[in-house]
Amino acid sequence: MAGFVLSELIGSRVLDASGALGGRVRELAIAPQEDQSRIAAFVVKTKGGDRLVPFNTVAGINGGLRTTSRSDDWTPLNGTEGLLFLERDLLDQQVIDVHGRKVVRVNDVDLFRDEATSQPTLKVSGVDVGARGAIRRLLKGLVPSPALHGLLRRIPPRIIPWEFVDLIETDPARRVRLKISHERLAQLHPADIADIVEDLAPAEREAVFETLDEGVAAEALEEVEPKLQKSIVESLDSDRVAEIVEEMNPDAAADLLGELPEERTEEILQEMEPTDRQDMVELLEFQEDSAAGRMTTDYVALPFSATVHDAIESLRSHEGGVETISTIFLTDSHGTLVGTVPLSKIVLAKPDEPMLSLVAEPLISCHADTPDAEVAELFDKYNLLMLPVVDEQKQLVGAITSDDVISVLRSKL
Amino acid sequence: MRWLRRSKTRILLFLAVIGPGFITANVDNDAGGILTYSQGGAQFGYMLLWTMIPITLALIVVQEMVARMGAVTGKGLSDLIREEYGLRATFFVMVGLVITNFGNVIAEFAGIAGSLELFGVSKYVSVPISAVIVWLIVVKGQYKMVEKVFLVASFVYITYIVAGVLAHPAWTDALVATVKPPAWAEFKQSGYLYLLVGTVGTTIAPWMQFYLQASVVEKGVTKRQYKASQWDVIIGCIFTDVVAWFIIVACAATLYVHGFRDIRAPEDAAAALRPLAHEFAYILFALGLFNASLFAASILPLSTAYTVCEGLGFESGVDKKFGEAPFFYWLYTLLIIAGAGVILTPGLPLIKITILSQVVNGIVLPFVLIFMALLINKRELMGEYTNSRTFNIIVWTTTVVMIALTAVLLWNNLRGGG
Repeated sequence: MAGFVLSELIGSRVLDASGALGGRVRELAIAPQEDQSRIAAFVVKTKGGDRLVPFNTVAGINGGLRTTSRSDDWTPLNGTEGLLFLERDLLDQQVIDVHGRKVVRVNDVDLFRDEATSQPTLKVSGVDVGARGAIRRLLKGLVPSPALHGLLRRIPPRIIPWEFVDLIETDPARRVRLKISHERLAQLHPADIADIVEDLAPAEREAVFETLDEGVAAEALEEVEPKLQKSIVESLDSDRVAEIVEEMNPDAAADLLGELPEERTEEILQEMEPTDRQDMVELLEFQEDSAAGRMTTDYVALPFSATVHDAIESLRSHEGGVETISTIFLTDSHGTLVGTVPLSKIVLAKPDEPMLSLVAEPLISCHADTPDAEVAELFDKYNLLMLPVVDEQKQLVGAITSDDVISVLRSKL
Repeated sequence: MRWLRRSKTRILLFLAVIGPGFITANVDNDAGGILTYSQGGAQFGYMLLWTMIPITLALIVVQEMVARMGAVTGKGLSDLIREEYGLRATFFVMVGLVITNFGNVIAEFAGIAGSLELFGVSKYVSVPISAVIVWLIVVKGQYKMVEKVFLVASFVYITYIVAGVLAHPAWTDALVATVKPPAWAEFKQSGYLYLLVGTVGTTIAPWMQFYLQASVVEKGVTKRQYKASQWDVIIGCIFTDVVAWFIIVACAATLYVHGFRDIRAPEDAAAALRPLAHEFAYILFALGLFNASLFAASILPLSTAYTVCEGLGFESGVDKKFGEAPFFYWLYTLLIIAGAGVILTPGLPLIKITILSQVVNGIVLPFVLIFMALLINKRELMGEYTNSRTFNIIVWTTTVVMIALTAVLLWNNLRGGG
């Protein structure tokens, strides 16, 4: 497989079928709807303007292009939205390295000739983000080729394979045409997505949050730092924000909405589903630094007469996140808290055992206005994973999970 | 009650974005600035005052442009140059920036050495200790906290206004000279053009543009909040140039008038004020110089390291460990060590070197301005926030004037053999 490099192909001479110099290479273009990595065409700068030369008319690439068509037959370039141009859209731009989980800048692009297909094609193998690409770009044309290649060979390459590169495009229409869906990005852990997004400029951040699936966007948004969360939300439409907020953990969503100006929060609440909206409105009424401000309404509560079997069934249909099922709550018909059962005990018990026999002793709970410091103390003292929150009538209103407590403690460290 | 809430929001908005423009403008009056303005006043009396108004105008325009670019694009200046003009162009700008900033760092340590010598501390003690302090503040991540201290200390600059008044200048002469440029023949005076370029270079330093845009981006100023940061920039620039005006006037009224035309060391600038303007002015001068130099010494090397790393694609950030961002830490550390090291050379003409570093600023400035002017007029980058025609005229005029002045300066130097 012969290897090529974008910076060396750009500016190289293009000979037409008759052997005459038709122009110089200006761009390499990929048509993402057909193939994400294959070079579909070249853009050649001629005396008469830019011309598009499809790859299938290229006979050879060796220090220059040889085409099988006549230079008069080359079509003028018009309308470029469906094509990805390597020099304009990739070189020197920021892209996401989904394997390394960070944002990098492209110094050069590596290509290879794929002999495996029936007709030889030129494909992108990866982007160079290291010193080798940088030095090649800097010294190209200034230092004679043999010396330059000798120097470059000694520098270890830092290449990101093309399949790990996620492009960022701020124009929504173009995103569709270039088939940029951030599928690969979505596979990463939300915290890693948040890290990556924090490194991008506002327009790029907005582009990513508009494209990601709501569930992924919600999880990632929860992990982004508060100031940036606000900035991202401000740049999105209210209905898009509502979609994302509905997928977020209620406590994180309430924190986020609480930071926004009232009119904005109203707009977003209007766009939400009625049930989710109701939960949000209730949570938003509480103060932030107390138990109620931290709690979630996504807990699992069962009647105190339930058996282990009932509990497992209800867990199967539970829609909340994993951190909200570490403890099951038992209530009476008025909603009063009767007991808590850790998940570990449920796993080890027989299906027909009554839940009441597994409750943790003593029953620990706190009030909605309990300050953060006391909440943390309770978690520490009783080694809790979840702490139920009750009102004056001892009725269950919410629960605080351990990950929230850790966030609070970290902000004080 | 709604109107109250709205004006409270507006005030809070203003206070939230205040900072970048104000800080940048105040760091502007660093050792290089103070010593260049002092020399200007001592050597030429009021003859350089007329430059203050055009320079302030140009400064406001240039700073506003980078603040606008930062708010609209959300990217730093070196990032924009990289994305629009490629690696090679960025590389040359970065090399130019490192050279001028190195000169500036030398000037800051000259200021630290000079100001503490006025209290009898030898430069062999003050410089290494300050270098270590500066390095630690940043690397140990306490910069944010310290920034607030420096900012408050910036108000010490008002002492220059006090010193200026205490020096009993000829007010009418000064005010006339502020609006009326001297006769053409005066321009040909030896050293006048040199100091002119230095004055522009120290007020509109290239590094400030990169620093301000990066600060605006880091602060997360958006297009909507941008109006408030415009005021931040304007007020900062006016304050800094008012202080500069007073420094020139103070030295003109004391040193020039009494024939002390050449400041050979920082002691001369301060000591000369002593018998003529009482003990008070002398101590204030030293404190002001020390604060300014230390402040700038904390910002400059760090800002340079960030700018270069971002432009060339290296890992950067004080939140990263040394092994994760080696180039960043090395560049930062080297700038401090080399800058401080140069100052420790015995017998070094501190003032001459300081002023030279500011002249280098002035020489490199037009090249940075060209990139800025090109970028800010790109519609696909700035949308509806491209430059107005007035702004474009001011920027391009400044660029052309500075290139012309530099050319004449070099020509004079080559011809005069000197």
